[in-house]
Amino acid sequence: MYRIRSKFYKTGDMVFISHLDLVRLLERAFRRGNIPISYTQGFNPHPIMAFATALGIGTSSEGEYMDIEVDEKIQLSKFMDSLNMVLPKGLEVITSKYIAKDNKSLMSIIQYSSYTVKVVFQEKMKEEVVNNILCKFLSLEEIIEIKEKKNKNKFKKSYKNEIQEKNIRMQIKNLEVLRIQDNEVVLKMLLATGSSGNLKPETVIKKLQEIMGLQIEPEKTRVHRLELLVEIEPKSLTPLDIAE
Amino acid sequence: MNKIELQDLLYKVEKPARYLGNELNSIHKIIENNTIRYAFCFPDIYEVGMSHLGMKILYHLMNTIEDVYCERVFAPSIDMEEEMIKHKIPLFALESREAIKDFDFIGFTLQYELSYTNILNMLSLAGVPIYSKDRSSDNPIVILGGPCTYNPEPIADFADIIILGEAEEVQIELLDLYRHYKATGYTKELFLQEAAKIAGVYVPSLYQVKYHEDGTISSFNPKMSGIPSKIKKRIVEDLDHAYYPETMIVPYLDVVHDRVVLEVFRGCTRGCRFCQAGMIYRPIRERSLEKLAELAEKLLTSTGYEEISLASLSTSDYSELHNLVRHLIDEYSKNRVGISLPSLRLDNFSLELIEEIQKVRKTGLTFAPEAGSQRLRDVINKGLTEKDLMQATQKAFASGWSSVKLYFMMGLPTETEEDLLGIKELAFKVVDLFYDTPKEQRGKGLNVTISTATFVPKAFTPFQWEPQLTLEEIHTRQQLLKQQLKRKNVIYNYHDAKTSFLEAVFARGDRKLSKVLELAMNEGCKFDGWMEHFNYSKWESVFKKAGISPEFYVNRKREYDEILPWDHIDVGVTKQFLIRENEKAKQGELTQDCRTNCSGCGINEGFIGGIC
Repeated sequence: MYRIRSKFYKTGDMVFISHLDLVRLLERAFRRGNIPISYTQGFNPHPIMAFATALGIGTSSEGEYMDIEVDEKIQLSKFMDSLNMVLPKGLEVITSKYIAKDNKSLMSIIQYSSYTVKVVFQEKMKEEVVNNILCKFLSLEEIIEIKEKKNKNKFKKSYKNEIQEKNIRMQIKNLEVLRIQDNEVVLKMLLATGSSGNLKPETVIKKLQEIMGLQIEPEKTRVHRLELLVEIEPKSLTPLDIAE
Repeated sequence: MNKIELQDLLYKVEKPARYLGNELNSIHKIIENNTIRYAFCFPDIYEVGMSHLGMKILYHLMNTIEDVYCERVFAPSIDMEEEMIKHKIPLFALESREAIKDFDFIGFTLQYELSYTNILNMLSLAGVPIYSKDRSSDNPIVILGGPCTYNPEPIADFADIIILGEAEEVQIELLDLYRHYKATGYTKELFLQEAAKIAGVYVPSLYQVKYHEDGTISSFNPKMSGIPSKIKKRIVEDLDHAYYPETMIVPYLDVVHDRVVLEVFRGCTRGCRFCQAGMIYRPIRERSLEKLAELAEKLLTSTGYEEISLASLSTSDYSELHNLVRHLIDEYSKNRVGISLPSLRLDNFSLELIEEIQKVRKTGLTFAPEAGSQRLRDVINKGLTEKDLMQATQKAFASGWSSVKLYFMMGLPTETEEDLLGIKELAFKVVDLFYDTPKEQRGKGLNVTISTATFVPKAFTPFQWEPQLTLEEIHTRQQLLKQQLKRKNVIYNYHDAKTSFLEAVFARGDRKLSKVLELAMNEGCKFDGWMEHFNYSKWESVFKKAGISPEFYVNRKREYDEILPWDHIDVGVTKQFLIRENEKAKQGELTQDCRTNCSGCGINEGFIGGIC
């Protein structure tokens, strides 16, 4: 068996399908594209596929990764062409690479995500005003996010949810203005993802609203993932960069 | 027509993939001036509707016609509906995102009675008047079809046209007639009068119902000459030559039945007396092995599905089942395509066959003894013995299965406490069987699930005259079973009987109920088949407001000489046959499978002329 690591897009209408939908869609696409994918053993065989993270519904991305295994070594260009031919608009494999089987799983190596986040303010914004807000926000030592942990044990009589407080400041690696047009502001964020914690851009926006009093129309916020990273220092490395 | 701007809404609602409309194999046509627009509506949410075979067939069939564009419409879920109302977005078709109020046809499939309020709600969301009499030549023609139309009366006032039986041919004939009228001057009235002459087409507005003082029907007559006083259902005679889609839409979402559906035959020869499908879908017609193999290949390659389901009313009765399964395993197991056999009978299913299938994918086993005692199984003509069940489960346990589901009906005519306790005895015997199986053979973690559904007497069955048990009585019997079935490894499932009560009202109701449905929709009743949305007290107040007693339809025993609301519909099975079967039921006499011995139901006289 051979392992292929691929980077793909999830944009357009495909942002509205969930991670599980995507997994099913790919399984069927492999079959239609005649990709000799390997299956798990057991009563309910599944194609061997692993992803870096599960992208939430509504988030677009040009930096998603998956590892798959195939039974026979096919040409990478053929693999990409056959798959892209059967994938719907909005899903596209952009790079693929054979990697050794002893590479660590995508999920365990990912540490950061970079995003662009479009935020619509209630009024026109000036760049220095927004910069100022971000600066103050980043100078905070503590940014506390309160998380309600749902009690999953249904046999327990108490339905009290556990409440967790978490300082998310350290999970924000970078936060800056990318561009501004009238009341539309595009922010760029570099946030912890995967093994180093999981911070969603939506949470950062929520905190900006709560703490800095940002006057925005939250339902118009749009999140786009640019890249998933394994390392950011001394330089940024993607899962494809480090794989052998 | 303008395309509705949805993008912003999609970010707000749950499961936005329901509304995308661009799934694999969905059809997108360029709309011309002469394009006949057909909105195929399913009165439930996407995940339910996308599992329905009839829609798959008719969608692809109608779209083979160049100037016809058939699109899908599902009931928007509650959150989407709220957003649509807030943003003044009318009900639209998924593919084109255009409002269906401007379409030529709006077709609904009636799969179960509790979706009737959804039909009215969808018409109202579309901005189309709900009553046929209030729709002019400028409004779409509303067509209803599907199994519930065999007693269409409760919903007849809302329909312009009701299609009886299998729609593949008659739907095309209707489109042809419409095209003709569109070219030569169309009025709704004229079109409907001509349509009513097509076999299988029932135009309710052209018929008059009169009632006795006690509420029963005194007469049912056509208002004009030239249309039949008894409307015959349509069937497709030769399934090998009937249209069947070679591709199916592959949803993004995990829908209820998410797989290739291969329809192996129509009709059923068993003659179970409670079963409406077994009566109304007669006669039996099989697809050939060659045709099925060809369809399977096309469907699997065009969809990439991991599972293929062999659908019919009783798949283990398919004469070529072994060969078909063998073929599918040989061809497709390398791609890990699993096979599912949804309706197997206990007395003729072959465990060897199932074992073959389960080498690819393993699932649980489900059987439907329907009744707990031999006496009651004979009453309903199930023709199944305890020995059949025991042998089947014993073999299954010895082959490693440890999960068995058993389905029963509660409240069948003549049912006694003894029959109910029979369910318990069967369940416990199954548990004992498991522990009698040598440890090294049996699986781990036994699960015996017992489900009871409340019996609903349906039109065109031998039990169509019988009352349903009262709600109190059903409740008492459910509690009895609940008490009795307390044992490790046994799970008992049952539904609130109130939905079955309402189902019974509309299954055997008449046209007076249209008022009730209208009021219920106005009160906000919808998704009545979903426990979280069903509001019985609303329904109670609606019946009171309309001055209609639901018990009149549900709990009253009807006489053989009463004119039943559906007597003007001819499904091929004669009333004499149904009476004969009902009488035999009372004696617990069996009627043989009609492959063995013709039971003289009448279907071979009016529909196929000869032997089934």
